[in-house]
Amino acid sequence: MALLEVENLSIGYSTKKGFLKAVEGVSFSLDEGRSLGFVGESGCGKTTLGMALMGLLPPNGSITGGKIILEGEDLIEKSEDEMRKIRWKKISMIFQAAMNALNPVKRVHDQIAEAILTHNPNLEKEEALRRVAKLFQLVGLPENRMRDYPHQYSGGMKQRAIIAMALSCNPRLIIADEPTTALDVIVQHQILEETKNLQKELELSIIFISHDISIVADVCDTIGIMYAGQLVEYGSREEVFDNPMHYYTRALISSYPTLSGQKRQLLPIPGESPNLIEPPLGCRFCDRCDGSGDSCKIGPPEWVDITPTHRALCGLCLK
Amino acid sequence: MDLWRYISRRLVQIVIIFFVILTVLFMVFRLAPGDPITRMVDPDMTPEDAALLISQLGLDQPLHVQYLYYVKNFFVGNFGDSFHYGQPVLDIIKHRLPNTILLFTTSIILSALVGVFLGKIASWHKGKKIDSGMTIGALVTHTLFLPWLALLLIWIFAYKLGWFPITGMVSEDIWLDPTSGLWQKALDVGHHLVLPLGTLFLFHFGSYLLIMRSSMLETLKEDYILTARAKGLTEKVIRNRHAAPNAALPVVTTVGLSLAFSINGGALTETVFTWPGIGRELVFSVSQNDYPLAQATFLLITLVVLISNLVVDVLYAYLDPRIRY
Amino acid sequence: MRIWIPGSGIKRDTTKGMAEEKPQRRRIHWIANFQEGWSIYKQNILGRIGLVLLVIFALMALSSFIPPLIDPMYHPMTGVDPVISSSTGPSLKHWLGTDFMGRDILSQLLAGARIAFMVGVSAAFMSIFLGTAIGMISGYMGKFVDTFLMRLAEVIMVMPTLLVTLILAALFGQLSIWAIVLVIALFRWPGVSRVIRAQTLSLKQRPFIEAAKVAGASHFRIIFRHIMPNVLPLSFLYMTFRVTSAITIEAALAFLGFGDPSTVSWGMMLQWVWKTGHMFKAPYWLLPPGICISLITLSFYMLGRAMDEVLDPRLRREG
Repeated sequence: MALLEVENLSIGYSTKKGFLKAVEGVSFSLDEGRSLGFVGESGCGKTTLGMALMGLLPPNGSITGGKIILEGEDLIEKSEDEMRKIRWKKISMIFQAAMNALNPVKRVHDQIAEAILTHNPNLEKEEALRRVAKLFQLVGLPENRMRDYPHQYSGGMKQRAIIAMALSCNPRLIIADEPTTALDVIVQHQILEETKNLQKELELSIIFISHDISIVADVCDTIGIMYAGQLVEYGSREEVFDNPMHYYTRALISSYPTLSGQKRQLLPIPGESPNLIEPPLGCRFCDRCDGSGDSCKIGPPEWVDITPTHRALCGLCLK
Repeated sequence: MDLWRYISRRLVQIVIIFFVILTVLFMVFRLAPGDPITRMVDPDMTPEDAALLISQLGLDQPLHVQYLYYVKNFFVGNFGDSFHYGQPVLDIIKHRLPNTILLFTTSIILSALVGVFLGKIASWHKGKKIDSGMTIGALVTHTLFLPWLALLLIWIFAYKLGWFPITGMVSEDIWLDPTSGLWQKALDVGHHLVLPLGTLFLFHFGSYLLIMRSSMLETLKEDYILTARAKGLTEKVIRNRHAAPNAALPVVTTVGLSLAFSINGGALTETVFTWPGIGRELVFSVSQNDYPLAQATFLLITLVVLISNLVVDVLYAYLDPRIRY
Repeated sequence: MRIWIPGSGIKRDTTKGMAEEKPQRRRIHWIANFQEGWSIYKQNILGRIGLVLLVIFALMALSSFIPPLIDPMYHPMTGVDPVISSSTGPSLKHWLGTDFMGRDILSQLLAGARIAFMVGVSAAFMSIFLGTAIGMISGYMGKFVDTFLMRLAEVIMVMPTLLVTLILAALFGQLSIWAIVLVIALFRWPGVSRVIRAQTLSLKQRPFIEAAKVAGASHFRIIFRHIMPNVLPLSFLYMTFRVTSAITIEAALAFLGFGDPSTVSWGMMLQWVWKTGHMFKAPYWLLPPGICISLITLSFYMLGRAMDEVLDPRLRREG
């Protein structure tokens, strides 16, 4: 059985201007020890998806349909109290280091220990701190910096501390939301390497969210491309990269430069993403797609299986 | 630790500011119409005493020498003699200062603590009746005219209901009675303290409440609150241990910035309640043209404000590690 | 914050897409901005109440000239009722009763409104003028000028305004109402100047200032033509708070007996009630002036809060 199965998940936000359908009909599954990456531009719904998995949608957000099944249990059915026990213990999250993710007036080791103690109430404080020390070793942070405050850490150190905190309760699944954005390239590379090592060592399952397809391709076995709230292509990283079927995926890959291969023209994607309060009836990428036909506008596109593990949401892609 | 460096830097700043004020006061006194001798020397003094005082204060010397005498006298505590009381000014203010400190510090601490607590609760229940009630209450109480509020409280609680004494800090019968114990005396002072403290408290807690409330609402939007939720902490823990300590910082800053304003209120309250503090003494001495006393009380009040500023700054540095490290 | 770039006739390149504006268009922009600000203001219930109260007080102030015209016995200072020479309660002849000398309390109250506006507005205006000028110069000039002015501000801020005025009263004798206004203005500018300075510092970095410098505008011109219009809304906001503090300080001074004896202010009325021992016996005399001072403070405060919302979009309520 897969660790996580998401069926037809739809999420929306109530805003002043109407109900915004941020995520629509997303389905995927994740096995133990595997990593899955979601790629898309800002506003495509990938962060919303991550938040929904943790049960951390803001007050104006709601899940309008679908199921989130973690180890056989539907998380949507759970009460807030039950979710609180699951959060961090079964699923934890790695936030962007650039965010103010650490409380500025508390020492770093206290914040990590707090996570441990919340889920292990009978533990002694000293034992919790010992575990924090081990976590520091694991992520490559010097132990003598445990007592520091967050503002004394560099960006890379903060990211490692956030990773250590995410690992503190031995979760089965970690959701990493843009963990390397705002870090410089060298540190970015280090963090990514370490993430891959940690994943292998601890047999973690990771969901990696990013706008950068190259990072996701580096770390994840499976890739899901998201656009305007929908999953438009899904497959192993080799399949998606070597054989992108959806027009959006193709455009996305060609907008990134590569070191190897032929020098080619970088193509930006013209136009803007659609209004998600009243999304178009047909394919949402239609206006910006250079391969669209009349059938695309009339009705919603259907999934096309290219291989047993590779599918795309586009009726015209095989032609 | 950087904390000591920070404190010593602030201390130096305060000393400089005080010296500036001291000097300005000196100049203003000399600039005003009339001559300084009539100002510092009681016309009812005997010529010998007057001559002694003049030489002590250096009033017959050239200006720059006078200034040196002035500064030295300040540190020695020689402020001349009060015209009205006929005693050395130092003796008078020695007795008044603790009373002011008692009233001032308890009122600030109480209103800050309650303001923070209630502001936290108001932000919790934003939009509901309890929040609107507290916000309106805070708004109304801190725009009331302070002396008038004092008069109202006296009228209702002291005059009509008779629960508290109308004026003063002590009941003569208890304090003059040699058999009264310390506890009895303390209770008596406490009894007299309620109304003046209540006045200052009602006046000040409102602004702290409003600031804490908006600060909490801002803080709850921060990213680390999301982290705390993701960790599985309960809402109560998040608000109290993660949000509130951060949200309280602007309140501390505000307390510091409004200390001069608070002491105005303190002086007014002391006057209405005839609370024997240095604020009241200043008002009284000005109305009596008792210059030595007026000058000394003003300087002392400024000193109180400066030192309170330092205390608040140190407290802030203690609460916000970003300053210390 | 909206930025106005005056049509100064200097040719400059379009920075950030802001073109030079002709004078007429600038005026229309002003009106449009004002209208938008007004519609936001109107929505704020506090602002509406505050405005209504202020209009009532303004009417009171204006109508203060009427009673003495009806009958000389209604003059607030010198009017003496031939029949009454002590404090009496409300009656048909004297709607709020009389004070200890037989003078009509209502006409005193109306005259007090006039004094309150006069003192409040002029002291506030002066301190804002000073504070804005000093703040702008300090922020723009930087270095020695800045340090000096800010240190000066610090020294002044530490001194309690009320008590300073008392000391000056002791030295210079009874202060006239205008002397009081001047002292209040001289001691109240530091608070404003800090805020204006901060705003100036952030404006200094903006491209349009650079552009003006490059075009050869003198410092003076830059400060008054470019920085000032963008700083003025903030000044006006602070003016509302300054008015309240000016009114309260004058009232407190009068209450303590150091006001101008030739004026009848609300603080003066309270002084008379207090000093003549009527405070427990004459609620009709004790209550009105206190209520007026408190209410006018409240209404200016509400005005200020509503204006704050207009100026700072972040404070506007969502949905």
